[in-house]
Amino acid sequence: MHFGFQTVTEEERREKIYQVFENVAKKYDVMNDSMTLGIHRVWKDILVHKMNPCPGTLLLDVAGGTGDIAFRFINYVRSVRQRQLQRKLKHHQNLSWQEIFESYQKDEFNSLGDSQVVVCDINREMLKVGKQKAEHLGYSEGLSWVLGNAEELPFDDDKFDVYTIAFGIRNVTRIDLALQEAYRVLKPGGRFLCLEFSHVSNPLLSRLYDLYSFQVIPVLGEVIAGDWRSYQYLVESIRQFPPQEELKVMIEDAGFFKVDYENLNFGIVAIHSGFKL
Amino acid sequence: MMVSKGNQQYPPLRALQASAVLRRASDEHKKEPLASSSQQHFDSPPAGHQPEQKPQGPHPSYTGQGGQESEDYESEEQLQHRILTAALEFVPEHGWTAEAIAEGAKTLGLSVAAAGMFRSDGSELILHFVSECNSKLSELLQKEQKLVQLGEAEKKPIDEFLRDAVEARLRMLIPYIEKWPQALSILLLPRNIPSSLNLLTSMIDDIWHYAGDQSTDFNWYTRRAVLTGIYNTTELVMMQDSSPGFEDTWRFLGNRVADAMAMSSTASQVQSTGEAVVQGLMGAAVTIKNLAGLNQRR
Repeated sequence: MHFGFQTVTEEERREKIYQVFENVAKKYDVMNDSMTLGIHRVWKDILVHKMNPCPGTLLLDVAGGTGDIAFRFINYVRSVRQRQLQRKLKHHQNLSWQEIFESYQKDEFNSLGDSQVVVCDINREMLKVGKQKAEHLGYSEGLSWVLGNAEELPFDDDKFDVYTIAFGIRNVTRIDLALQEAYRVLKPGGRFLCLEFSHVSNPLLSRLYDLYSFQVIPVLGEVIAGDWRSYQYLVESIRQFPPQEELKVMIEDAGFFKVDYENLNFGIVAIHSGFKL
Repeated sequence: MMVSKGNQQYPPLRALQASAVLRRASDEHKKEPLASSSQQHFDSPPAGHQPEQKPQGPHPSYTGQGGQESEDYESEEQLQHRILTAALEFVPEHGWTAEAIAEGAKTLGLSVAAAGMFRSDGSELILHFVSECNSKLSELLQKEQKLVQLGEAEKKPIDEFLRDAVEARLRMLIPYIEKWPQALSILLLPRNIPSSLNLLTSMIDDIWHYAGDQSTDFNWYTRRAVLTGIYNTTELVMMQDSSPGFEDTWRFLGNRVADAMAMSSTASQVQSTGEAVVQGLMGAAVTIKNLAGLNQRR
């Protein structure tokens, strides 16, 4: 088993990774911004855009820790719902105010359209930070926080419309188990989306990227978060992670259909998508 | 954006991992008579696969050794077909959008996320609809031809035949007429033009085939261009027609067909081809001009 470039047992790996995220939890978002120069926000936006959720979607965001994907999902669904309601109102302009008032009672105009997101993370610290962020930013409706392990999810079969795991699958010890769990908890027709650092094939870019990763990032980690070892792990784990095609095959093995991937920034990051058909 | 397509040929083990939704086109509840015999084909399961993969859900069909699926097993494409067909019901309400596809998926018992399989501008839904209409037209013309061959019906004169065929095809748009301008504009997007043009030309070819057109000479192009012009212009007139039962449209159609008949009897074939092409182009220009301001019928 590998932990970055070290070799450890499975149990040791889980513990070490838990500690990594326990240490970085409070500074997680700041570090993301400084390491990726804010581009991680764009990546996450693209992920949710690709998902294109409609109101009523039930999302499971695994390893969702500080809630980035969850908040974006809620924003997206809210604006789609707004447009839906506007269209409905246009059609119903001949209603009397009595009828309009009654439809409010029926809660027909709920702003999220029954969409919900469950944020699941194995790390208590990350969830804590996420909950605080939610309070701070004013997200309350449609959000749930659950402690759980991606390799063994505490949810029943066929429950969710979409399963996302953003920058999390790299830290899972048994990726195949996580993929199988993803398959299990998704409804038929449900979608699996994975956003993760991946393999850069362009040789020149790859060299620059390596330089940046190994020279700059751990230093940033020490300066900003006071913890270069965790960020050394981060950079090494990216190198150890299977490249795009290999991950695609693993996803297909778990039973997903129509699996494909989209490279962002020449392969620095890739979004894999599959459907449970 | 680099996208890699999933493999079309499934290895035998994968097809047996019976999915929850892809199912036998026929009876879903058949017993599993070949379970033991199908195991014989996997004496050494490929490395990396879990050893005990029992199929879940509906019983899978027996697959051949070459990894080919038996005829009964539904493919991804057939499933997509079913979803798009189900989605048509919701087009009058939601338009040609991913929302309509999501609603369609819901009626089939699938998650709304299944709409993610298609492009978000709804173009696949429209192309599916056009292709279905063309198939229906083909069937209709074939049936009529059979009746004529059996002597149960009179062979129609060419102008009447063309008029009836175009009318029958345009009538299929009536349930979706509110949202059809939106569809037309999406079909004119550069990305969709190859497919939509393809569907249009094959439909026109079909009509001429059943009209008894055996020509292989220059007339072939002339006839295609003329009929395409007639079809396109009539379609556009239909978008703006508010007369009861679209009678204005059918009258317009009759006139255009009569014009075409008159044209063909003159000696200037080349000129008429050019005119027909110009007619078609004018039609497209008028569409774009109108659609810029046309949100509703009328």
